[in-house]
Amino acid sequence: MSMLRVEDLGVSISTISPLSGVSFDLERGEIIGIVGESGSGKSLTAMSVMGLLPLIGGQVDHGKIEFDGIELTGISENEYRKLRGGRIGLITQNPMTSLDPLKKIGPQVDDVSRLHLDHDKSQAKARTIELLGDLRIPEPASIYHLYPHQMSGGMKQRIVIAMALAADPDLLIADEPTTALDVTVQAQIIRLLGDLVKQRNLSLVLITHDMSVVAQTCDKVMVMYAGTAIERGRVQDIFKSPRHPYTKALIGCIPHGLSKTVRLKGIEGTVPGVAQYPAGCRFHPRCGLAEDICKETVPAFDTAGSRAAACHFALGTAQ
Amino acid sequence: MTTLLEVGHLSKKFVSGGGPFRPVRSMHAVNDVSFSVSVGRVVGVVGESGCGKSTLARLILRLIEPTGGSVQFEDLDLLAQKPKPMRALRARMQMVFQDPYSAIDPRYTIRDAVTEPFDIQGHRYTAKEKDAKTAELLDMVGLSGHLANSYPHQLSGGQKQRVGIARALALNPALLVLDEPTASLDVSVQAQIISLLEKLQDELNLTYIFISHDLSLVKYFCDEVLVMYLGRVVEVLPDTEAAARHPYTRTLLDSTFDPDPRLRRTIEPLAGEVPSPFDLPPGCAFAARCPSATGKCSTELPVLSSDGGHPVACHHPL
Repeated sequence: MSMLRVEDLGVSISTISPLSGVSFDLERGEIIGIVGESGSGKSLTAMSVMGLLPLIGGQVDHGKIEFDGIELTGISENEYRKLRGGRIGLITQNPMTSLDPLKKIGPQVDDVSRLHLDHDKSQAKARTIELLGDLRIPEPASIYHLYPHQMSGGMKQRIVIAMALAADPDLLIADEPTTALDVTVQAQIIRLLGDLVKQRNLSLVLITHDMSVVAQTCDKVMVMYAGTAIERGRVQDIFKSPRHPYTKALIGCIPHGLSKTVRLKGIEGTVPGVAQYPAGCRFHPRCGLAEDICKETVPAFDTAGSRAAACHFALGTAQ
Repeated sequence: MTTLLEVGHLSKKFVSGGGPFRPVRSMHAVNDVSFSVSVGRVVGVVGESGCGKSTLARLILRLIEPTGGSVQFEDLDLLAQKPKPMRALRARMQMVFQDPYSAIDPRYTIRDAVTEPFDIQGHRYTAKEKDAKTAELLDMVGLSGHLANSYPHQLSGGQKQRVGIARALALNPALLVLDEPTASLDVSVQAQIISLLEKLQDELNLTYIFISHDLSLVKYFCDEVLVMYLGRVVEVLPDTEAAARHPYTRTLLDSTFDPDPRLRRTIEPLAGEVPSPFDLPPGCAFAARCPSATGKCSTELPVLSSDGGHPVACHHPL
């Protein structure tokens, strides 16, 4: 059974539908990267899985979200509260705002295991200190008594990771966990997340805008554009021969290791806003391969090998 | 090649505190930085947050006054200029800011924003001339002339950054200082802006100082690279193929991810983080995190030296 299975997910916020057609599944011990530019629906996908859409006045209006055999779209807020922070941990983008500035970091981590594992005060504290040690935080017993402002950004992000892990989750969702950090610290955190997945046999949904991070850490990837998924598959296959023109163009935008003779091109135009999604394939106004059919018909997913792409002219298709 | 800019021993010391309960603390945001830039070159400045990149940019343009050192621009001593000639000189050296969202006045139309430099420099253009200038500048940066009467909020981030570039180009500068011009943009838009900058450089024979935290972008875009750590230049890569000699540059390179899953490697991340720039140790600021540090490193400050290769400030270069 998959740890997480999302099928044809669609979200509505009042009269607009910012997310539609998102499907993926994730096994235990796997890392899936959800990658896309701003406004592509990455974070909305994470919020849907966490049941946080009511916070922004949204709701799932289509599709299924199945977590370890439990259908999440119909469950009550009470049941969700048990899962959130319990069996599903969340790591947010900005560690500076996800910690309470007025509370020492140790007790903040304690709260999670006291709530979800019914630990008493001393059990929770012992567990927190052990967890901080596992996250390679030096001198966890004294760090326990620090306030967030006394710590560096990378250290704060480790505390946020400790909170996500405190109730022994099966699934972690990390929403741009390294975007706010410097490159050397980003490397530390990404390495740490990869090790945790292996040691604890977790499943990880890694949301990022950085294709290089996906290449280096994930087993699977789902590429999103303008509120919908456009390609998914195994990381090796997608980087070797992307089938959707957008995925291909996105990989072409990475300057890493390009010689002076190969120049960056970029993708003409900009990502459309929610209110201006074009009819047909949402990428067609920026696509070099677009023809009339792309302006009219929404392409369905077409599978070849491990890769499925939503494109009328998916590359690498046997013609 | 003629030298356009010559920076010598430039330093900026910030002092904070000094209230009844706060002791005076000082930090050297930029410390003894020297380099020169030839006409038509792209010089990259790379480093993590807090290393003094942006302060260096502001010092070069004399947007803030240095506490020591010199800046020669087109053979003029910039720091000796009186306000009026300094303002005239500013036309020759312009800056493109990191955040295009806050760099343009929200109440200005794009036309106002792009032609403001002419007003500041005392060019009395008629409305018609301004329209023509606006159209020309927008065209130069790949924007449609229709946007002239739009307001910044009607533009996307990439379009706003193009406006920022157009405004910087208005007065035909020789030098552009680009302070993380793509850091707040999506990758596809970043690539557009970078190729626009390349095109403009070819057409207008511009010289760039390109500031970034993204080493792969700097390696792609620049001719030579200064690597900064806590206010000091620790290495000068004379070309982008040069192998790193400073352990810090080496780690920076190792920390950038390769976009190829076949080249997946176990990253050996550097321990710790950039320390506080207050109370720096007497020796090498990187010593505490450095895998090859010895006792000498924590007591004796290494200076940039070209012994055995390109300039590096390290007692134990790689």
